[in-house]
Order: sequence, then structure tokens, then C-alpha cells
Amino acid sequence: MNSSTLGSSALPPIQFFRITRHRRLAWWGSAIACLISLIGIGFSWLNPSIGAPLKPGLDFTGGTRIQLERACEPSCSAITVPQVAEQVDSLKLPAEGGEAVPVLRGAPVQVLDQGRSIELRLPSLSAEQGKAVISQLAATLGPFKDGGTSVDTIGPTLGAQLLRSSLVSLLVSFVAIALYITFRYDRIFAFLAILCLAHDVLITTGLFAWLGLLAGIEVDSLFAVALITVAGYSCNDTVVVFDRIREQKANLKGFSFSDQVDVAVDATLTRSLYTSLTTLMPLLGILFFGGSSLFWFAVALTVGISVGSWSSIGVAPTLLPLFSGKGFEGSAPEDGAAPAGAA
Amino acid sequence: MARQQGLFALILALAIAAGAVLFSFPLQLGLDLRGGSQLTLQVLPAGAIKAVKREQLEAVKEVLDRRVNGLGVAESTLQTIGDDQLVLQLPGEQDPTRAAKVFGTTALLEFRAQKPGTEQEMQGLLRLKRQAQSVLDLSRRRTPADPADPVAPDQPPAPVPSFPAEDLAKALRELGVAVPAGAGETEQIEALLDEVNKRVVALYEPALLTGKDLVGAGRQQQQTGTGWDVTLNFNRQGGEAFAKLTQSIAGSNRLLGIVLDGRSISEASVSQEFAAAGITGGAASITGNFTAEEARDLEVQLRGGSLPLPVKIIEVRTVGPLLGAENIRSSLVAALAGLALVAVFMVVVYRLPGAVSVVALSLYSLFNLASYALIPVTLTLPGIAGFILSIGMAVDANVLIFERVKEELRSGNTLIRSIDTGFSLAFSSILDGHVTGLISCIALFALGTGLVKGFAVTLGIGLLLSLFTALTCTRVLLRLMMSYPSLRRPSYFLPSRQLPSPAA
Repeated sequence: MNSSTLGSSALPPIQFFRITRHRRLAWWGSAIACLISLIGIGFSWLNPSIGAPLKPGLDFTGGTRIQLERACEPSCSAITVPQVAEQVDSLKLPAEGGEAVPVLRGAPVQVLDQGRSIELRLPSLSAEQGKAVISQLAATLGPFKDGGTSVDTIGPTLGAQLLRSSLVSLLVSFVAIALYITFRYDRIFAFLAILCLAHDVLITTGLFAWLGLLAGIEVDSLFAVALITVAGYSCNDTVVVFDRIREQKANLKGFSFSDQVDVAVDATLTRSLYTSLTTLMPLLGILFFGGSSLFWFAVALTVGISVGSWSSIGVAPTLLPLFSGKGFEGSAPEDGAAPAGAA
Repeated sequence: MARQQGLFALILALAIAAGAVLFSFPLQLGLDLRGGSQLTLQVLPAGAIKAVKREQLEAVKEVLDRRVNGLGVAESTLQTIGDDQLVLQLPGEQDPTRAAKVFGTTALLEFRAQKPGTEQEMQGLLRLKRQAQSVLDLSRRRTPADPADPVAPDQPPAPVPSFPAEDLAKALRELGVAVPAGAGETEQIEALLDEVNKRVVALYEPALLTGKDLVGAGRQQQQTGTGWDVTLNFNRQGGEAFAKLTQSIAGSNRLLGIVLDGRSISEASVSQEFAAAGITGGAASITGNFTAEEARDLEVQLRGGSLPLPVKIIEVRTVGPLLGAENIRSSLVAALAGLALVAVFMVVVYRLPGAVSVVALSLYSLFNLASYALIPVTLTLPGIAGFILSIGMAVDANVLIFERVKEELRSGNTLIRSIDTGFSLAFSSILDGHVTGLISCIALFALGTGLVKGFAVTLGIGLLLSLFTALTCTRVLLRLMMSYPSLRRPSYFLPSRQLPSPAA
């Protein structure tokens, strides 16, 4: 046991490592990850084909998505994307309510599950027009399975409303959580908890900005749910470490604040890792066994929860001595540089 | 120990009750899991009303409620969202076309007399209308996509109505209708019909009688032909107005127009015999050559009354039951596989208390499902995600406690004392974590939209129950086990090499 011998009585044994000695590594790691995320978001915003921080999906842009499952018993004829696209181009839609018939030419088409299902992304169609698309496609690409069809039409106003309400509820819960932590701990703890939360949300968002740029992955309303979940989880994770730090403040009165932080992080490390692991298990289950509709949701949560676990170990506790003005007394960083902000 | 046993009995009773609840109240599955259609309607301001308010939304909802009931889809629900939106859910309905039609129209029915001196113009328009209509009917019947309307095979071939291209072009030109280049014959005729209907309506006097005075509507098959008529019954006031209206035009060449949502659907002449008193008795029928389904939909709309404000359909979602079934199956498999892994992990890492927590977490899942059935919560995909996440939080509570117990044991405390201290030390962090989680749930539920709400509800219920199971169930079960001396061994809690040697 490499227990420290500062002060008159001994510090409790440190099982794993003293986190404040690795603070520079932790800060650099997080800063670079945040920077890469910001660059991804910026590129996505500047990209003329996206023009938004993330590539918005149907839920936010509005439009009609038609999913068709082909009846493949005993076997299906092979189809390719160009074949489907050609069929879509030749569709004829009924006019409705005096409005112009939407142009379907060049609409994005996907063929999934070895040609067994088709997904179309079309401009907003009325219920009647959606039905016409399916019945006309059935003639050449069908037969389609009864009950294997899904048609979603979303008006752009609804997408904007969803985005606004998600953002507002996220911000309100940030403020409410900050107030609660201020009440239970103090302002600095609250500030750092929110900082960590922003860190986790930023990195998750950055990943999806890059995914949108490089792989064309779009974010849907489930992504908003995932971000909110990551925020809540990150908070829970950080609060547990803070709770231990507060406890050590009372137990280890004679020691420096960074010693108290080290002991607290070390003692909660097993718990932090185990908890993330057990939360990730059902998520990994969804990743590997779940339906395709939840795949990217699970990816967002997996990344967000991993990052959240990291920030509660490496970011919030190491910033705590810095922001509370107590410095890193007696805790020279092992990564070479001189101690920062020593009192 | 008596207290532990009493609590244990309580937990057992709760578990049995939860099982019974689940048995008698099945879980409600959302449309994304069971298949069905969902329509979101936006109520638009019109006329003197500049912004839609709560009362107007309620008034629209009342009318639409009556139309929903007329549609006859089981378990359909209509809910208001915010100040100006309504969501209609039709479980099992695969074809939202009809619902969209029945809901999207205002159904403002008007009876209007033709203006004097417009007879000639009217006749020309009606001739065009009849011709266009019959060509359209025919082409519709020919479309293979509509098998509901087959031509009887034994009927002698009727003279095929047609609309020669030059006549059509001339008619369009005369009425000043511009058709987009490349439009097919059907589209041109539809455009023509629209314009004709508009002009016909312009030839009427303002309405003296509207659907407001209607007390009933029905439908009946025509005596001759295959079409359907829609019958109307007025209240006393409406009956009188109808008599006066028909009297005013009886015997003249002027027509009585029945206008629905600004579209002339029927024009009737009133014969000389009614010149004295008009058509009395408060009943009338619309002879519009409707199909059975059209007649039924119109009847539903008329019976429901007209909408005080127009509505627009802004979202239609349809999920096939197969897609729904696949979604729920794979999500359940995923959840169960993940949970099985968690259970193995807990037993391997925490030994006896790990096994206890697996029992407690099973109870936790049971209580959760029972709450969904009881409240009731409609389970959707985001809802299941919230549930899985709340299990993660519940496991976290157990991990926190057992880590504390281990720490106490390592520092040389007795087993029973370690357990008690472990629970009490872990309490504050469990409470803080759960409260922050609940705070976000409340914010999400209050401010979020449907999808986010479903997630917030299951996560919130999960967090509340997890506080109970982690602090009560796990504890009571563990204490109960400790009452058996054979189980009271620290090595059932952690590897013996981690325990302080007795000499130290």
C-alpha cells in the first residue's frame, strides 16, 4: 500500500491512484475531445448540405418516411437501390386540396435487410398520397407483407416544436439540478456538475456531428431523449463522487483539499466503474440484439454514459480544488509540469 | 427481528399484489409497439379569431370526439396537446386515409337559394359538372387500386362517358383555369370540376340555413341506381327555415344548393306543388350519388356538427403490427439479455448480497410493470428505454451500498455493523442521485412532447421505486438472511484475503 505520510496521522490507503496528480492528463484529454467535438459541430454547420450543428432527421425537417417489408416467402427477387429509385421517379400522385403535387424525383431510397425491406424518404405527403405510393410500388416491387408497412408524415412545425421543447426542458432541468446541488452542497459543486454535464452532452453531440458528416447519420427525436438521459446520468454519477468528497472533508480535516479529493475518488472508483458497466450491459444488449430503430439511440447512450463516467472521475474532482481556490497543495502533478495555482 | 419479518411479509404481499395487478390489467402498449395510426391535428385561427385558445380547442375536440365515435375504431383516443393541437390515436388502423378525410374537413353545411336571373349560367355550369363527374367516376372505377367499387359483370356496357380533348381545353380556357403543363386528363378534369363548383357556389344567395339546425343525419340506398343518399332531420327552427327557403324558389327555375365546406355537393329543384308552404316536416335528403363509404363518412361529419375552426393535419404516423411486434420482441430480448448479464455480474462480484440484490431487482421490475398497468402508463419505445435506464440506476444504488459494506468489512467492522453502516452511509448519495434524476424527469414531463414524456414517466416511476427497493427490499432480505448463523460469514461478502487478519 502506498499510503501517503503527509500530516500527523496517515491518510487512508490509496488503492488505485491519486487523481489530482494526473490532472493535466485528464484536462488535456477532455479539452481535446471537446475541441474535436466543436470542430465537428462547426464543420457540420458550415457544410452547405447540412447547415445545422447536427444532420437533422425526418423528425426535425418534416417529410414522409415510408417503410415497406416485402413478402419474401419462399424467396424474393433481388432489388437494388437504382431499381427502387427508378420506380419512385415514375410514381404518379393524386393532387390534394388544390396544392401542388410534391416532386418525388431523386428522393433518397434505402434497401435494407438483404433486399427484404425498403425505406423511402419523401417530401410531405397526405395520407391519400402515401397510400397511392404504396399501392403503385406494390405492382413492381411487391407484394408487401400485410402489416409490415409504416408511414410517417411529420410537418416541419412539429419538428421545430419538438426541438424547442427538448431544449427548453433540458435547460430547465439544468437550472433545477444546479439549484438542488447548491442547496445540498455549494455553488462550486453545482457549477462543476453542470460543467461536467455540458462536457458529456457536448462530446456526445460532437460524435454525432462527425457521424453525420462522415457517414450521413441523422439525428431523430430519440437522440434528444438520449442527450437528456446522458445529462441525468452524468449528474447522478458526479453527485455520488461529490458526496464522498464532502464526507472526506469532515473525516480528513487535517489534510489538504486535493488529498481529500484523491481519497474520495479512489474510494468511489470501483463503484463508478461497476455502475457504468452495469448500465452499459442492457445498452450493449440493445446494440447487438435490439431492433434497428433503437441502434443509434443505444450508441448515443453508450458513448454519453462512458464519457459521463469519465468526467465524474477525471474532470469534476480535479477541477474542484482549482475552483474552490484551495489549489493543489502538496500534490505535484506526476505528468511533469509544475503545480498550478498553489496557494 | 420481528420488524424485519413484518417488513418481509409486507414485501411479499406487495409482490403478490403486483403479480395480480399484472394478471388482471394487461400492459398498454403504445402505437409504435402494437401498430396503428396516429394523426396530429393543428387547429388554425380563422375569421375573427386571431389565436386559438383553450376553449376553442375544447370546442373543436368535442366535435371531433363525435366523429371519432362515428368512425368505429376500438380504443381510439383523442387528446389535446398545448393550446392548439390534437392527437388522435387509432390502434390497429392501418389506413389513416379515411380518418384523415373525416377529420380534415370542417363539415360546414349550408343550404342556399340560387340568385334570381342566373338560370342560364347555372345550367351551363351544371352540364359541365355532370360531364366531368361521370368521366371521373369511370376512370376511378377503372383503377385497379380500388377494388371496393367493381363494375357488375352482368350489367350491359353503358355508353362510355368521355370528354374529348378539344372540348376540355375549350372549357378550361373559358373558365380561365390554368393547368400545369404536362398534367394528365384526370388532373385537368379535376381542376375543371373545382372551378365549376366554385362558380356554382358564387351563384347562390348567402346561407339561410346551416348544419347548426341539424338534429340528425342518416343514409339510405337509392331506389334506383347503386348510389347512396344522405338524409337530414332539422330541429323546429331549421324545419321552418327550410320550408321558407324551398317556398321562395318553388316552381321557379332557381335551384336549392347544398354546400359543404364551400363546395357545391348537390343542386335540387323544388317543384311547383311546394309554392304554397314550402317543403315542411323538417326532413330532407342530399342526393349526391355517394358510395356507401362516402355516405357514411358524410353522415358522421354532419352528425358531429361542423368544426368551429378549420384544422390541418400536420403529422401522420402509421406502424404496421408486424413492425411493432418485431420492435417489442427485439427490445425485450435486449433488455433481458442485458439484465441477465447484470445479474451474473452482481452475484460474481458481491456474492451473497449480490444474489439478494438480484431478488430485490426482480421485485423492482415486477413493481415497475405493475405500476405501468395500474396508473396506466402506455409503453412506447422511449418508455422501455427509460425503464432499462432506471434499472441501471437501481443497480447503482445496490452497488453503492455493497461497496460501502465491503469497505466497512475491510476496515475490520463486524458483519452486522458493516451492513447497517453501509446502508446509512450510502443513503445520502443514493438520495442525491435519485433526486437529481427526478428533477430532470419532472422538467421533461412538464415541458417535453409525447415521445420525451413517455421516457420521463417510466424513468420517474423507476427512480421512485428504486429508492424503495434499494433501501427497503435489499435491506430487509439481507437482514433476514443474517438471522441464520450459517449465512453470517464475511467470506460470503468478499474474498477472505481482503479481510483484515484477526491479529492486526
